Amino acid sequence: MSGIPDALQQEYSDALRDYLARPNEQALRRAYEMGRGTLTNGAGVLGIAALHHQALKEVIPGLSAEIEEALLIKRAEEVFIESLMPFEMSHRAFREAIAVLRRMNDRIEEEAKRIAHALHEEAGGLLASTDLALEELSRDLSPGGRERLSLIRRLLGQMDEQLRQLAHEIRPTILDDLGLLPALDFLAKGMSKRSKVAISVEGSTEGRLPPVVETTLYRNVQEALNNVIRHAQAGKAAVIVAREARAIRCSVRDDGVGFDVSAVTAVRGERGLGHVGMRERLDSLHGTLLITSAPGQGSELLMYIPLEG
Amino acid sequence: MRLTFEDHVDIISDDDVIAARQKGRMLAAEIGFSPTDRAMLAAVITELARNIVAYAGRGEVLFHAIEDVGRRGIAVIARDHGPGIPNVKEALQASYSVAGGLGLGLKGVKGLMDSLDIVSVPGKGTTVTARKWQS
Repeated sequence: MSGIPDALQQEYSDALRDYLARPNEQALRRAYEMGRGTLTNGAGVLGIAALHHQALKEVIPGLSAEIEEALLIKRAEEVFIESLMPFEMSHRAFREAIAVLRRMNDRIEEEAKRIAHALHEEAGGLLASTDLALEELSRDLSPGGRERLSLIRRLLGQMDEQLRQLAHEIRPTILDDLGLLPALDFLAKGMSKRSKVAISVEGSTEGRLPPVVETTLYRNVQEALNNVIRHAQAGKAAVIVAREARAIRCSVRDDGVGFDVSAVTAVRGERGLGHVGMRERLDSLHGTLLITSAPGQGSELLMYIPLEG
Repeated sequence: MRLTFEDHVDIISDDDVIAARQKGRMLAAEIGFSPTDRAMLAAVITELARNIVAYAGRGEVLFHAIEDVGRRGIAVIARDHGPGIPNVKEALQASYSVAGGLGLGLKGVKGLMDSLDIVSVPGKGTTVTARKWQS
């Protein structure tokens, strides 16, 4: 494999030769440090595998006359394990980080549910009581006073409507009650009404998905459609959901102005278009995000989440 | 048979890291740890000793055999009188350093061992205790 500096190959081969001839801790330490260096330099675990393989080819012929093959294989494995250990550490830490991310997402959703409930039920309930009290009060007023009070009651009505809308956006109960497609449908209708983009929703999940998957897709579609409305100058957008054997696929397409994907990624570090949040939510589910676009050609955002079992 | 070894290696230079790895690996073999577990232990000792050399200049690594309802294990204790870790919680988080971001250093130690305790007093030093039970 190309890309491995000669000096590193030389050092690994030396350490391997040293250990195969006479097992010693120093050689193992060298192998460990080379693995560590390869990891911190950004070269992958495949780099180490190639390094090890090449070293075996170089070293074994010179030793096979004196040392039994089985012993050589065992010793070579010990060196290989040392060089892989930093990658094992990194891998374990990565798994732990994913678990933490997932728990954090759950907590955020729980909090969103609580806030949505407080807005909808508690604040909404207080508004309703206030309205009733005002209605009673208006009976005692002169026609002029009644007129002014009804203006206030209309404003309260608008406030109630906005609270409901907000509660829905924070945590759509329709998502919990009816599932992803109805929730996306509702979302698309609301967003179409508020913007000039005609948004359609097609496809099926073929039954309910795990709650965390539904929430993730809902949030990401919400963010993607917000991007379309804000930046794309699109006339139409389509959300397409498709169930595969062991995965769910969801895409958001628009016919807008498009953008240069690499330029946007480089300049804004994906932050400006909200892709970081999308990626983080997908990462915790081992999902992938693919964005394709070019200036003048619209854009497509494709999400793919594997389903367990 | 009850194993009750206690041993330590002074860590002053990089050569001592190799001595500590060797000692840890040997003691783990006595307890009956598998070769892979022994290699994990060597990695842990390397990361802890590396921190001693880098941040405190000198210190020591101690080994204790531990036992708990039929299980046997090993405790690796890295101790120094260096400047201490200003924020232990941060040190265990991924973003703390390049090594930490890759899951090496203390964060890496945590993943390879069954438990990790850190006591650090600014200006007085740091004691890291990592335990691993036989699987």
